Amino acid sequence: MAKAILFDSSKCTACRACQVACKQWNDLEADETTNRGTYENPPDLTPRTWIKMRFTEVEDNGQIAWLFTRRACMHCTDAGCVKVCPTKAVFHHADGYVGYDKSKCTGCGYCVEACPFDVPRLEGNKLTGNTKMEKCWFCEDRVDNDYAPACVKTCPTGALAFGEREEMVALGQARVAELGGDAHLYGEEELGGLHVMYVLSHTTEDHGLPVNPEVSPATTLWQDILQPIGYGVVGVVAAGLLLNYVVARARTVKAKEGK
Amino acid sequence: MTHHEVEKYSLSARWFHWIITATAIVLAVTGIFLYVDAFGGAAVDSYSRIAHRVAAVIFVAAPVLWFLAKPGRSLEFFKQIFSWGKDDIEWLKAAPGYYFGGDESKMPPQPDMNSGQKLWAFVAFWSALGFIVTGIFMWFFKDSFSSGVFTWMVVIHDLCFIVGGAMTLVHVYLGAIHPKMTEALKSMTKGTISAEYAKTHHGKWYEEVTKGKEAGEAKAE
Repeated sequence: MAKAILFDSSKCTACRACQVACKQWNDLEADETTNRGTYENPPDLTPRTWIKMRFTEVEDNGQIAWLFTRRACMHCTDAGCVKVCPTKAVFHHADGYVGYDKSKCTGCGYCVEACPFDVPRLEGNKLTGNTKMEKCWFCEDRVDNDYAPACVKTCPTGALAFGEREEMVALGQARVAELGGDAHLYGEEELGGLHVMYVLSHTTEDHGLPVNPEVSPATTLWQDILQPIGYGVVGVVAAGLLLNYVVARARTVKAKEGK
Repeated sequence: MTHHEVEKYSLSARWFHWIITATAIVLAVTGIFLYVDAFGGAAVDSYSRIAHRVAAVIFVAAPVLWFLAKPGRSLEFFKQIFSWGKDDIEWLKAAPGYYFGGDESKMPPQPDMNSGQKLWAFVAFWSALGFIVTGIFMWFFKDSFSSGVFTWMVVIHDLCFIVGGAMTLVHVYLGAIHPKMTEALKSMTKGTISAEYAKTHHGKWYEEVTKGKEAGEAKAE
């Protein structure tokens, strides 16, 4: 059965306990940052920051609304990263989310470019290419043992919930009906259904999320069309050469015997 | 008839060829690790990527150095691979009959590169250029452009591999395996081909190099 995390932006106070719990459980060092004049910190996801809250200010009926939006792997069903990963280091776990086995990562970085949400981060020497990818792995070790992911476990306001995906969809829809206005459930259908869904109090754009996230056509062309064609072309050429060898060889032998 | 050998490829040309061969093998093998999912495990921990990059530097540097050392010869090469005439069409039409049936009668006389070799050089040139341009992009400018651009670069890199790789199979086959191509490999190792082979396979070129000379003066072995 598919599992999912539900984030409710209307309940989030941006305490960022989720960021701390993630670092604590996954043993990730802090990123050193400087004061940028905002409470939002760190500024972006990094190889050591797999989850962070994004702060956005939007105008809402002549008032300023301060939006807190979760930034972490969305665990897509139609996941660009899984499609392009040459070693299946990123993979679909039986529970539906996008798991990650770092020991299999070659550091190619294809997932970084294929992700519609700009989530995976590369760590290492970019000049030599000796790198490893880092991203949220849905606390596989916890979830496999029937615990909620660390971020969910720690959330003091109930902005994060975890459970069967169907239940999370129902919970999200109920909350959306309760909130009314621009409130909507993000991730129910996007990319085949995300395993991290958001109850957004404002529009998708206001929260800085892609309205119609998609795996780029180039990625599909590359993985689903070009690579199989490659096997076909090499196969046909090799078969042609083999045929040629057999025919030409037979002729040569015949010619020699004729002499 | 006495056996004469004529020099086909100079020592530096042969070195150039085999350096490119060696780097191309490293590039292809380490590239296949990422292309074929089943070999992906071989790329774990990025060592294959480092090898790929070292080989890539040589793969780019060798032609540049070669061009600087022999600009005349290089320009001549480019002039040749970009000029296609009636003889080439005739050659390509007659080629299947020759390579399958051994019928040489319809093959027009050829300069030092026959039309097939020209076709190979043409494809090799464009795919190498494609590899290098997209490769430089993927290596150094990954963060400077959108991810869509990067993915297209990988697509083109793959396309070059499919086209260039398939032609490489043909090249290796005709150079070293086809029963009739007895002298091609030797021309790239020892540098010489027999006068007889030169006459039949590179008639125009043989005439040129022996012009004003007695056949006996051609490098004898």
